Amino acid sequence: MSQNRWLATGNFFTSYKQEQRIFLTHLDRLVFICFLVVLFVWPLFLEVGNKYMLVIDNILIAIVAILGLNLLTGFAGLISIGHAAFVGVGAYTVASFARVLGDSHVLITHAWPLMILMAGGVGAVVGAIVGLPAMRLKHLYLVIATLSFQMIFQWTINFMSFFNQGQTISIGRVFWFTGKVVRNQHYFFWYYVILVILIILGLAVRNLLRTRYGRCLVAVRDNDRAADAMGMHPGLTKVYAFAMSGFFAGVAGALHAYLFRGAGFESFTLHQSISYLAMAIVGGLGTLVGSFFGPMAIIMLDLQVENLSEFFKHQFSAALDLATALRPLTFGLVIVLFLMFEPRGIANWWRILRTYLKLWPFRY
Amino acid sequence: MSYFFQLVVSGIVVGSIYALSALGFVLIYKSSRVLNIAHGQIIAAGAFITYALTVWLGIPIYISFLLSLIITFFLAMSVERVFLRRLIGEPIISVIMVTIGLMSILDGLIYMTPFGAENFSFPEFLPKTPIALGGVSISWTQMVGVIITFVLIAAFSWFFKRSTLGISMRAVSDDQMASMSIGISIPKVFGLAWATAGFSAAAAGGIIGNITGLNFDTLRAFGIIVFPVVILGGLDSVFGAVVAGIIMGLIQQFAAGYLDGNWGLSGTAELLPYIVLLIILLFKPHGLFGIHEIERV
Repeated sequence: MSQNRWLATGNFFTSYKQEQRIFLTHLDRLVFICFLVVLFVWPLFLEVGNKYMLVIDNILIAIVAILGLNLLTGFAGLISIGHAAFVGVGAYTVASFARVLGDSHVLITHAWPLMILMAGGVGAVVGAIVGLPAMRLKHLYLVIATLSFQMIFQWTINFMSFFNQGQTISIGRVFWFTGKVVRNQHYFFWYYVILVILIILGLAVRNLLRTRYGRCLVAVRDNDRAADAMGMHPGLTKVYAFAMSGFFAGVAGALHAYLFRGAGFESFTLHQSISYLAMAIVGGLGTLVGSFFGPMAIIMLDLQVENLSEFFKHQFSAALDLATALRPLTFGLVIVLFLMFEPRGIANWWRILRTYLKLWPFRY
Repeated sequence: MSYFFQLVVSGIVVGSIYALSALGFVLIYKSSRVLNIAHGQIIAAGAFITYALTVWLGIPIYISFLLSLIITFFLAMSVERVFLRRLIGEPIISVIMVTIGLMSILDGLIYMTPFGAENFSFPEFLPKTPIALGGVSISWTQMVGVIITFVLIAAFSWFFKRSTLGISMRAVSDDQMASMSIGISIPKVFGLAWATAGFSAAAAGGIIGNITGLNFDTLRAFGIIVFPVVILGGLDSVFGAVVAGIIMGLIQQFAAGYLDGNWGLSGTAELLPYIVLLIILLFKPHGLFGIHEIERV
């Protein structure tokens, strides 16, 4: 049977295997590859200041973290209000190596891919441990377990002298094949590193969702008794979701530590956990594209809020510090409004836009 | 030995405040199965309203305390009406996330007031000399706070056991379908649960504010410490919240009194409740007095 692999006019699946393809048409694949090429090429042509490169790097790191949170909250249906702590576990894995071996040890400056992987591994182990109550309990109690992990993490960082009592632990500059990555190349270099990692992880998640483990997560979220009856182990699946989410968070944490050349307490607080949750909700829980849109939207919003409060400071008085007030207020409003009016998040707008473009100029 | 008894007394003082804070949390959970993550912010709001009425408007503190209870009662009711009413029937998970958003919103609103950045303390209105009880001393503020706490807890217990409204709230928590069929309005009960929770939170806030002074971070922390307390006591048990509150207060005071400073430890009082919480979650998730109908996976 010969069908047009470039422009499909409908579903002509004859097997489940066909239905689970990532790219339905060659056109999709082409667009995706073009998009990736653009992502890699644009910094070579466009001159961007360090400040904006840092913002972009931040967004990419947040996307890595949100991929993990979305696996946990969106696909497995387990709310986590301790995701910043998991990210912190990754950052502090690198930081504790720096503390023991000195911040410019070969292991840190040269073997950084290994360190990032290891941070992911540590994050996964910690995630699995925190998820252990999932063997016996359902979501309400797991929210509380993640919250208590957040509190325990904050205590550990703040009171242990090994972690410098929450002060920044510095991490040395890394080396690439061409030598040490210098100051004005730093954000540029990490943009590519994070981009590559993000593409690998994004494809990994997309593939995971096609496999039996990914479908297990969704099945357990939707009805754990039915999932149990069909031979899945709901408890283990949830622990597994926690471990996966911990892995992503750990990788994000290590990247964060390298990007800021240090790990400090203030990036991993309860507030940060809540803004991660806001990113996941705004992007759209339980969708892969949501994990990309959410962090972009929230970090852009955050920048605008900062500008706005700067503006107010100039206009009225320097004593008026609106930034501390406006930030939680906007985050909270965004979470609540999205949950009330668009629970499927920006991913839903994306879906609508895509169908519209596909069908244009027809209505349906 | 008197050091020990001093710790016991201050543990009971702190614990009874935990109990009062946990009470509102349990009320909301009992009727609507929602974990109210924004509880600490409501406590703080209650405390700040009391302060504003007392100091800025010059109303006598007893009256302003009562007024703040009433104001927070309606405040919490309107929060339920605006944000949560339209989520009835949605999955619990999204309702909990709405309370997380609510926590952020209330944070932002409080940061806009002077209370967000500065510390205030209530004017002294009770004798300053502490009461001495055979080597153990307790200040008048703490004494009055504990008495008010126990009176309120007794009143709430009576309300749930005897009054028609309280019984209908328990009915809703037990079976929503059945209670609807005998003519109980579920939205009304949810609104009332939030309102009473706001009431008790404001009471807790007023008392904490008098004992520790008004610091937003301190007050807000009570909304988080409530979690270990309610898990230890059992999420849906008012009596459990009281017992667990006092146990948690004692644990914290003993940790601060005996563990800190030894073996290089510090700040253990902030850590132990959460470790207790995790242990309880692993081994006895329904807590001490909760109903044994934990949904297992």
